Amino acid sequence: MTAATSPLWSNGSTAVIHTGTWRSATPTHNDLPSPCHQACPVGGQIARWIGQLRDGDVLGAWLTLVEHNPFPSVAGRICHHPCETACNREALDEAISICRLERAIGDRAIAEGWRYPEPTINRSQRIAVIGGGPAGLSVAYQLRRRGYGVTIFESQPALGGLLRYGIPPYRLADDVLDGEIARLLDLGIEARTGETIDADAFARLRAGYDAVYVATGAAKSKRLPSIDPARPWVIDSAAYLAETNAGGQPRTGHRVIVIGGGSAAMDVARTARRHGRDVTVLALEKETQMPAQREEVVEALEEGVQLVDGAMLQSVTEHDNGSLTLHCIRVDFVPGSMRGEFTIEPVAGSEFELSGDAVVPSIGQQADPAPFGGGDGPLLGVDDAFRTGLDNVWAGGDVASMERFVTAAIGMGKDAAEAIDRAMNPGTAAIVDAGDAVPYAAINTYYHPPLARTEAAVRPVAERVMGFDEVQLALDAEAALAEAGRCFSCGTCIYCDNCYLFCPDMAVSRLPDGYAIRTEYCKGCGLCVRECPTGAIQMRAGK
Amino acid sequence: MQKIDLVDRDLFNPGHAACPGCQESLALRAILNTIGPDAAAVFPPSCGAVICGPHPYSSLQIPVFQTSLESAAAAASGLRRALNQRGKHDTTVVCFAGDGGTYDIGFQALSSAVERNENILYVCFDNEGYMNTGAQKSSSTPLHASTASTPGGKPSKKKDIIGILAAHGIPYVATAATGHMNDLIAKVEKSLTIEGTRFLAVLVPCLDGWGLPDDSGVSVSRLAVDSGMWPLYEVEQGHRYTLNHDNKTRPVADYLSLQKRYRHLDETQLAEVQAAVDQDWAQLRRRAAESTEARASG
Ligand SMILES: Cc1cc2nc3c(=O)[nH]c(=O)nc-3n(C[C@H](O)[C@H](O)[C@H](O)COP(=O)(O)OP(=O)(O)OC[C@H]3O[C@@H](n4cnc5c(N)ncnc54)[C@H](O)[C@@H]3O)c2cc1C
Ligand SMILES: Cc1ncc(C[n+]2csc(CCOP(=O)(O)OP(=O)(O)O)c2C)c(N)n1
Ligand code: SF4
Ligand code: SF4
Ligand code: SF4
Ligand SMILES: [Mg+2]
Repeated sequence: MTAATSPLWSNGSTAVIHTGTWRSATPTHNDLPSPCHQACPVGGQIARWIGQLRDGDVLGAWLTLVEHNPFPSVAGRICHHPCETACNREALDEAISICRLERAIGDRAIAEGWRYPEPTINRSQRIAVIGGGPAGLSVAYQLRRRGYGVTIFESQPALGGLLRYGIPPYRLADDVLDGEIARLLDLGIEARTGETIDADAFARLRAGYDAVYVATGAAKSKRLPSIDPARPWVIDSAAYLAETNAGGQPRTGHRVIVIGGGSAAMDVARTARRHGRDVTVLALEKETQMPAQREEVVEALEEGVQLVDGAMLQSVTEHDNGSLTLHCIRVDFVPGSMRGEFTIEPVAGSEFELSGDAVVPSIGQQADPAPFGGGDGPLLGVDDAFRTGLDNVWAGGDVASMERFVTAAIGMGKDAAEAIDRAMNPGTAAIVDAGDAVPYAAINTYYHPPLARTEAAVRPVAERVMGFDEVQLALDAEAALAEAGRCFSCGTCIYCDNCYLFCPDMAVSRLPDGYAIRTEYCKGCGLCVRECPTGAIQMRAGK
Repeated sequence: MQKIDLVDRDLFNPGHAACPGCQESLALRAILNTIGPDAAAVFPPSCGAVICGPHPYSSLQIPVFQTSLESAAAAASGLRRALNQRGKHDTTVVCFAGDGGTYDIGFQALSSAVERNENILYVCFDNEGYMNTGAQKSSSTPLHASTASTPGGKPSKKKDIIGILAAHGIPYVATAATGHMNDLIAKVEKSLTIEGTRFLAVLVPCLDGWGLPDDSGVSVSRLAVDSGMWPLYEVEQGHRYTLNHDNKTRPVADYLSLQKRYRHLDETQLAEVQAAVDQDWAQLRRRAAESTEARASG
């Protein structure tokens, strides 16, 4: 106000008075990582893409997803979803169905034929990737997007690794996998299938390429000491699944005993059920300790798989008619500190017998790192940046880690691509960790009334065991939208204007792309922070 | 999530002297910006009169007349007539008074203005006491709340100002709270479409006077609503009741336990407050139901 001061009229504005001097703490707008993002093995900016989906921008949501993971449709079906375990909403009612939302977006992208943007630069450096499973495909994709020339060497006739030769189509349909792989190759990635890289070929690749990424997985089935793998009734689980996934029906006899408690054991058992076999799973773990995902176990039981848990095979007697007696004993299973480590204590006097015609040990896979400078160890050793001991050789996925999850392999591929990019072109900015995740306490739940989680439908059991159609069905667009609406958007500003409009001091200004604190007026009451529905604004001590 | 439906037109200036987190200034911001620039305000002594700004500064971008504590409604009546004389029938005349200046000291002026059906909007910022003079009790202070002048708790109930005004046959009377911004804004908008006296009581939790953290005003006002201590409703023509938040979901203890002014409450007193709230709530629901029936039968 510029008018002259009047003795009677107050025609100046209080805006000249700077109440900001009262303040001892200051609000700051700062997007923070959500706990789901922190837990996600690919670091997938979940709050952001769920927000885009909620706003009706499915293409935008997909573009955010594929920044980190070129396989949203695959991950949306078979990821072990640690994001949901970490989800803040669990503390209010139920975690967000993140995995199914990811699938909804991925499937929409396949249906619409969405393609990746062309790489904006082309670099002269060429990278060889050995192994076309999730780790190799992920690193290839991330490097190609960054402009590198990439060639994948894969010993099998088709790409996909265990996604194709391990995980059965009732959990991951072939067209989904094919769709996501084809789109990735369209970026200009060369795939040389049917080429196995041995130690000599490896040396040639090292000489011919600027960098090599080893992603050969862990294909060797672990041996069970109590049986001789050479007997005709012992069936290798990896070979079994590779054959059945390709449409074959291996001869097993009617009564199949599967040994193991992980995903592979469940997949063998459920596949055998689909071939009309009588199936028993023998697991060291108690049912709730089994490393397979809970829903796989539940679905296997629904499909008529019989479970003998907390028990161990000791020996097998072969009878003249070809049938087998399995001598077993009950055990106490105590998990160790590392995934895959455990101790067992047989329970004295608890011996029992099972009858069967075939045994499929599915107790885990071993890597073969020897041709790639790995020596005799079970894994190819890598540092934090996935660099092996050899110059310009990186590695990831099952060959380099005991994590043994698809998205872990994808995440390792992504991280290695960033590391390779920095090594090849040292100017590339390092990724900084954004700090602690937003805690539940930072979410104002008034803005998020309780609402049940939207569950996707499951195919009826009777239909399931008739064939290999997908068991888990998709959320329809409407259900996906409703589920996206439940997300707190932890740490991500949704431009709701609450901080701006709840300030009694007009101390938050709205800018074209966000908000700013007018520190000359902010009294530091904290109301803006308290009324933020997402935790995207925090109070910091001091002015 | 529903967004707040407010366009801020910069009609309330920063730099005012309200306490940090003040709910009265928050309500003032919403109301001024909803009414718009064609308005003139009357303030009797109160926190609001302090927030208006120390001479020669003002925090309001509309003209303000500060009057005495007894006379807000009378001054507004005069202002209304003066503006009408000058042909400014469309300019809104709005009173911003405290509960002391409304329920008690300014009551006769208000009652007679309503009786004459003066064309004014009267907003009572109800912080349940004489707050800017040191938190003494008013007749709006609720049962058992402690104040500077009732340190052991107030022995009598809060005066039912809405019922009293309804008995005048006032065209529009309503309650509102800062935690329900869109309801508050909608009520201001509705009041602007009505001729005659309109009265809006806005609950403004006083952080200092009630003993609350600076960031809690909005959430505490929601607890007041959810507990039934401050129901959101409106009465048209003195008899048509509408409940705007027909959902009493919490015991009063959830609301009271946060506030230092209720710290001394024993079980019996708490039960008394709960019983009184339950009774008032039942009566309000009955009236709202009767109004709905009356409307249905034409
Ligand atoms: C039956 C089964 C079910 C599973 N289910 C799940 C699940 O539901 N969810 C989950 O998260 N994880 C699951 N897993 C684990 C998951 O599949 C693996 O962790 C993941 O596939 C590892 O990816 P990768 O790229 O490292 O290896 P792989 O997927 O094994 O791919 C390695 C590729 O390298 C090729 N290759 C190997 N050696 C050479 C060579 N010398 N030259 C050229 N090519 C070579 C292989 O042919 C293969 O295609 C399952 C595993 C199994 C076995
Ligand atoms: C007749 C009269 N008595 C006392 C006062 C002193 N006084 C000024 S403001 C005030 C308190 C008003 O309380 P309220 O209307 O509830 O407003 P609040 O301060 O709570 O906002 C009092 C008692 C006065 N100005 N005039
Ligand atoms: S509520 Fe949303 S952003 Fe928050 S943890 Fe869950 S999925 Fe992530
Ligand atoms: S609500 Fe306003 S005054 Fe209070 S801390 Fe936030 S910006 Fe500052
Ligand atoms: S209150 Fe709304 S606009 Fe403000 S930071 Fe939080 S999410 Fe963003
Ligand atoms: Mg008062």
